[in-house]
Amino acid sequence: MNFKRVVSVLCAATMVAAAVSGCTPKNGNGAGAGAGGDADRDDLVIRDYADDEIVDWTFFGGMPGAEINDGNEVQEIIAHKTGVRVKETWLTGQTVEEAVGAIIASEDYPVFIDGGDGMQMLYEADALIPWDEYIEKYPNIKELYSPAEWDKFRQADGHIYWCNQFTNTYGESKQTTHNDEAFWVQARVLEWAGYPTIETLDDYFKLLEDYAAANPDGEEGLIPYTMLCEDWRYFCIENAPQFLDGYPNDGSVIVDSSSGKPTIVDYNTTDTAKRYFAKLNEEYGKKMIDPEFATQTYDQYIAKLSNGNVLGMCDQWWDFAFTVNDVFKQTGLDKKGCNYIPLGLTIDKGMDQMWHTYGDTQNVASGLGVTIACDDPDRAFAFINNLLDQDIHNLRFWGEKDVDYLVDDQGLFYRTDDMRNKASDTEYKASHLCKYSYFPQWGGTSRDGINAMMPEEQTSDFFAGLAQPVIDCFEAYGASTYPDMIGSTKDKEVGVWFPMYSYSNNMNTSTPGGTAWQKMGECKHKYLPQIVMASDFESAWSEYMTAYEACDPQSFLDEMQEELDRRIKAAAEAEAE
Amino acid sequence: MSRLGSASGYRRRKRQQENMRKEITWKEIKYQKTLIIWAILFVIYGFIFYYLPLGGWLMAFQNYKAKTGLFGSEFVGLSKFKWLFNDESFWNTVRNTLGMGIINLVTSFIMAIVFAILLNEVKSTGPKKVVQTISYLPHFLSWIVVTGILQDALSSTGIINEVLMKVGILDQPFNFFLQPKLFWPIVAFANLWKETGWNAIIYLAAITAIDPELYEAAEIDGAGRWQKIKNITLPGIKSTIMILLLMNAGNVLNAGFELQYLLENGAIVDWSRTIDIYVLKWGVSQNDFSLGTAAGIFKSVVSIGIIVVANELAKRTGEERLF
Repeated sequence: MNFKRVVSVLCAATMVAAAVSGCTPKNGNGAGAGAGGDADRDDLVIRDYADDEIVDWTFFGGMPGAEINDGNEVQEIIAHKTGVRVKETWLTGQTVEEAVGAIIASEDYPVFIDGGDGMQMLYEADALIPWDEYIEKYPNIKELYSPAEWDKFRQADGHIYWCNQFTNTYGESKQTTHNDEAFWVQARVLEWAGYPTIETLDDYFKLLEDYAAANPDGEEGLIPYTMLCEDWRYFCIENAPQFLDGYPNDGSVIVDSSSGKPTIVDYNTTDTAKRYFAKLNEEYGKKMIDPEFATQTYDQYIAKLSNGNVLGMCDQWWDFAFTVNDVFKQTGLDKKGCNYIPLGLTIDKGMDQMWHTYGDTQNVASGLGVTIACDDPDRAFAFINNLLDQDIHNLRFWGEKDVDYLVDDQGLFYRTDDMRNKASDTEYKASHLCKYSYFPQWGGTSRDGINAMMPEEQTSDFFAGLAQPVIDCFEAYGASTYPDMIGSTKDKEVGVWFPMYSYSNNMNTSTPGGTAWQKMGECKHKYLPQIVMASDFESAWSEYMTAYEACDPQSFLDEMQEELDRRIKAAAEAEAE
Repeated sequence: MSRLGSASGYRRRKRQQENMRKEITWKEIKYQKTLIIWAILFVIYGFIFYYLPLGGWLMAFQNYKAKTGLFGSEFVGLSKFKWLFNDESFWNTVRNTLGMGIINLVTSFIMAIVFAILLNEVKSTGPKKVVQTISYLPHFLSWIVVTGILQDALSSTGIINEVLMKVGILDQPFNFFLQPKLFWPIVAFANLWKETGWNAIIYLAAITAIDPELYEAAEIDGAGRWQKIKNITLPGIKSTIMILLLMNAGNVLNAGFELQYLLENGAIVDWSRTIDIYVLKWGVSQNDFSLGTAAGIFKSVVSIGIIVVANELAKRTGEERLF
């Protein structure tokens, strides 16, 4: 056998061996390795770190997000103060469950993860490190929730595996935006109509019809109303009936306490639901609704809104406003009154409504978790703790002092128009700002007692940044902020169970109710656009109802009732203690 | 070539082989040892990458949880299959997969051959090369790009609607993606656009292998272009055609994933979803890997069935075949 042959055989053998070794499961079980017992470690605190002391970690966010550039300036500052740099990647093109399922199957975990509706899957796969001991160890983390609230995060095995990052108010609330769902309408439409009182769905569509018919600006391609039906965002078409009936956002069901005992009600089959869809059907017939609504993607939807072409839609503030308002600011459409004003509609006149949720809604279904891919959990939790430090928190949300904001002699933070414009510029955000937006954070008042934790909640800054048409509109309705425009849960207490979606979001096919929930979702995805577009609404509706009943919604409702009862009982017990 | 491909020819060849069969001796083994080592390497490779993963099929009979793994999960017998076969939407995906698979197979197959023959008839090399290069370039685009092009072209403000409205066929934009019946043709069209040029390459190669003397002889006999195609080119590439048809038949159930996944929407999901997407939706994203595996097994079994049947048909008609 000559030399060449030996070499070629060896090469082939090496290739096979390499391929085989690539297949062996990684031993990702570094959990607990460095935990505890090393109080004198110097890499857990905020100090000045040299380049070679900084560790690079990863984060996966189960929602679409804007990736920031490598070498982002604020990220570098934070890295040199905390010793940790986190590369964030976001969901693209898939659903979050698909992405998380694929991560579990490949065992290729990021260090930090917010798996959205897939958190339960990560827990079931034993992929997360329990928070319990670290909550006690790190005061900034502990401060996030009261012990009773932390308890709500406990899973079946009694441990806490994630913590929700949002709606935590420090000190006094400074809420200025309506960070919830509403029927939105452009400020210019209200102005044109002379700021009428819009109470019901019928009023709302009348307004849109009138404006579209008059079309005072003579615009081409005006879309009076559009709806998003894509994937999980189809709540834009789907869940309005619960609000129209005057209930708060329990998300998947209505909790009716009118009879004394809180009872689960399915908002998909109520009379209000039927009237709502009949109205949409009627408006579709009048060509008031975007003919592409059923097939548009989120990106196309945002593009339409950003062009200022869409007069109104039903959506959550966070689903469109951050992107769309920034574009309006950049293109000057905000001066023309394209900004959206929330309207709290009901199905009939004179009903209570609870579109806005004041205070902190604790969504225990999802949050930030640390995975078993982390070989130094102590440092990971120290990092989360450090991110909540006031100076770092300011860096995250306000930016760099004297560059992104100024401080007056009273210690009040303020921004110039130029700074505000820069902060809404995509390019600048990617190269300069680093919010670590899916790590725990505070709203409300800063620890200095003067400023807001976040610039958008700083009252003076909020008004300075507001476009004139919006200010005029607020004035006309006697409101000063967005929440004033809309009814809220402030006047009425929400139940101890609120919000119920924190349970249904995590249901999966392991129970009959979860299977039904999944099937109901598919059924609604399929039929809701169809009934809106149907030429014969009644027959389309009854066909939909037949298909819907076939999904066995009752088993879902039964499981929700069980959870509701459990929550009420748990709350009563907590109070008794 | 075609002579060897006939049924009697095949039997004759087989008899010859049987007569030629040698005794296996150590000397023979030693003589062929390099070949044997190579063969063994490929057997090992095949075992590791094709057979070992089949162990995962156990999942289909378990209530698999990532926590307990393959060895600790509870066995549930055939209940996952029962659930699957009772699910109406699963049968829809089977129908869609078969439908789109067969349409894709037939159209792409015919178009590739036609295109290869047409291209072969272009005598000047310059234009021929240009056309060939342009035609196979789309193959290198990813599906996401192709989907983007499709969505733009077919959207209400896209070129297709614009043209149809300018010509006066439509008076308002037509939403192509809301029509369940149009989904399969759209998919077939996208596949054709992307793959025809690429698929034609192999036929072009087969045509090049045909002895030019045959064409010269035919010309002397007075055969025209059409007759040369019919009597020389087509019979010349017949065996290639048969083998490719058989191999692609096994791929019918791989009717696609990306395209359907990216183009689907709630209104037409009954006609757009394929088995692969079903596996993703119910298996991976509902954390029910067992159900996903069961659907995967079903797909493999049907695919094997299709190959065996197609192969048997080829055998009966005395054509080239795989095994």
